[in-house]
Amino acid sequence: MNIRCARPSDLMNMQHCNLLCLPENYQMKYYFYHGLSWPQLSYVAEDEKGHIVGYVLAKMEEDGEDNRHGHITSLAVKRSHRRLGLAQKLMNQASLAMVECFQAKYVSLHVRKSNRAALNLYTNSLGFKILEIEPKYYADGEDAYSMMRDLSSFSESKENQPSDNMEIKSESAIVSQC
Amino acid sequence: MPPSNPLPPKENALFKRILRCYEHKQYKNGLKFAKQILSSPKFAEHGETLAMKGLTLNCLGRKEEAYEYVRRGLRNDLKSPVCWHVYGLLQRSDKKYDEAIKCYRNALKWEKENIQILRDLSLLQIQMRDLEGYKDTRYQLFILRPTQRASWIGFAMSYHLLGEYEMANSILDAFRTNQMKGPYDYEHSELLLYQNMVLAESGQYDRALSHLLKFQTQILDKLAIKETCGEYYLKLERFKEAETLYEGLLKRNPENVLYYQKLIEAKRLTTPDQKVAFFDLYKADFPKAIAPRRLQLTEAECPGVFTQLVDEYLRHGLHKGIPPLHVDLRSLYEDQSKADAIEQIILQYIENLSKLGTFSNDTDEVKQPASALLWSYYFAAQHFDFKKDTDKALHYIDAAIEHTPTLIELFIVKGRIFKHAGDPVSAYQCLEEAQAMDTADRYVNSKCARYMLRAGHVKRAEDMCAKFTREGVPATENLNEMQCMWFQTEAAAAYQRLHQWGEALKKAHEVDRHFSEIMEDQFDFHSYCMRKMTLRSYVGLLRLEDVLRAHPFYFRCARVAIQVYLRLHSHPLQDAPQTSEPDTGMSY
Repeated sequence: MNIRCARPSDLMNMQHCNLLCLPENYQMKYYFYHGLSWPQLSYVAEDEKGHIVGYVLAKMEEDGEDNRHGHITSLAVKRSHRRLGLAQKLMNQASLAMVECFQAKYVSLHVRKSNRAALNLYTNSLGFKILEIEPKYYADGEDAYSMMRDLSSFSESKENQPSDNMEIKSESAIVSQC
Repeated sequence: MPPSNPLPPKENALFKRILRCYEHKQYKNGLKFAKQILSSPKFAEHGETLAMKGLTLNCLGRKEEAYEYVRRGLRNDLKSPVCWHVYGLLQRSDKKYDEAIKCYRNALKWEKENIQILRDLSLLQIQMRDLEGYKDTRYQLFILRPTQRASWIGFAMSYHLLGEYEMANSILDAFRTNQMKGPYDYEHSELLLYQNMVLAESGQYDRALSHLLKFQTQILDKLAIKETCGEYYLKLERFKEAETLYEGLLKRNPENVLYYQKLIEAKRLTTPDQKVAFFDLYKADFPKAIAPRRLQLTEAECPGVFTQLVDEYLRHGLHKGIPPLHVDLRSLYEDQSKADAIEQIILQYIENLSKLGTFSNDTDEVKQPASALLWSYYFAAQHFDFKKDTDKALHYIDAAIEHTPTLIELFIVKGRIFKHAGDPVSAYQCLEEAQAMDTADRYVNSKCARYMLRAGHVKRAEDMCAKFTREGVPATENLNEMQCMWFQTEAAAAYQRLHQWGEALKKAHEVDRHFSEIMEDQFDFHSYCMRKMTLRSYVGLLRLEDVLRAHPFYFRCARVAIQVYLRLHSHPLQDAPQTSEPDTGMSY
């Protein structure tokens, strides 16, 4: 498995991976929009044959200088490639790029209330906290948790930090704040 | 330049209002003003007004009338740049780009320096990859609007795309020194990296390197600096510097396979022993990273060394219960001795785990969790499936299911074993079981639908997919809207196998239309990326679109379509009109 920044030529295969794994889908143009607006922020995990087995599609929300933050549009890892820690590694690479290239203060995302596995990843492994519930956020009427992760630790330790240091262990106080 | 057929002030004011309405998408009002001009017998045949009326009608979806009015307007005023421009816009909206280019050129004959027409022309030229024409147009725009940022960028890019790197670089240099006076923001950073890309593509790595080093403090994309510098150092055989860089990159991302490969190149390691020792170092540095462990297995050649390493790797994976363990190791099987070693080890594990609860028969080993045996069965099943030994594969997957009947992965693998054994029906039935165990997982749902298609159950597959498509719309419609090409490709092939030629072609053409849409998607980015300055990625997009239809999805659908068309040619459908060809007596 190889983790690297996504290139324009990856975007179609990211769309394919998304359609296999997730109920929220987008047309190619939306992938192009991400890849051509914030080329540093999206990452892919690929197998030895170069097939995309996981990806994170990310963007910046540019509402004001003081509120510069990244947003995770979509994150997926094929079920056949779970338990390798790919999602966490993808997220950390994207977050570092958000801080370096766009001075992001935090990163936000939405997750389905019923998606326990993802919720667990975000709170326990990545240090996200729940901001609020957005009722009926999804097309099928399901509520979303709106979540955010503070990225200030990334800007302090920008250079040459092993990605292990970015991990937040499940004991972290953040969990209890939800 | 005055219009070739001027209107008096009152009518001219109305005409200007038509233009404004068009720009602001107030088409109904636009038509009203057009009517006011055209209702006067004196101006009933006024060319530019007729053309604008046509263009406005086009925006309201009345295409046929639009063409009528635009053409009539043009006939009445062949020397009007407005009429030609409008005709070009109409053709462009109809995706007749070549025709549109001709119209714009005619418009420019009558008004050489119209910025809007030149811009529209340049967009079509780059879309159609008329690179020489693009260069000429960008030159015109540059001369006419030398203070605008886009003029410089487009001008430089037109040379870059033609491979005239020196010229492109000089323009970018001049632009940077004259026009970009700080702040050193993201756009500035992207511009510098684009210029660096131009230098690198010219093959002058030393020059590109000094450029990058000179400006590195002004570049925000630290990753790009390091990755690119690393490439240059290796190309220039400055190995020590390359080494330092790749070591730094690995600290950032120890899961990047390329970094290890480049570092090995920089350290000029050649023998398997050297490489194995190299990965030992990084295993210690990055205890949580998978890449150095996995790559080491590929490099290890000495049987003793490989066995010891893969033993360690397998134990870790089976202890933790990592489902992709076999998928991850599969490529090692190219080396028969490695495949044999893995088989020996996994069978040994199964024997020991069933009897003793440990991987080895070493009494010091701590007892493994019960799941270790399960994952060993699971691995063995995939191992024998890969070796096409269906009986053994089924034996082990059944043992696993008996051990833990609730694990979805087991049913997916069992389905795959049947698929490989040529039994698509049992295969999809296994996937149906898996799917029923976790209806919220779209991956299993997709797999199940795919297996149904392989078994020829198109309707059932559609119903399966419908569990994840928008309610109130047929699944196929939603899948088509979302450009879900795996489904459409598989469905096309399934219909072909079922001899439902029409349906097969329909699916193949839906995929073809997606590719056309994706070509169209480029259009907006031609100007968007020049504003955003994400020029490296923009060039990446252009190069992707140049070879877009080489994508496997397209290839597979094209093959289905070609085969079906050939079949229909040699065996016309019965209700089709009979040809005069004599019956060759061949039958299928």
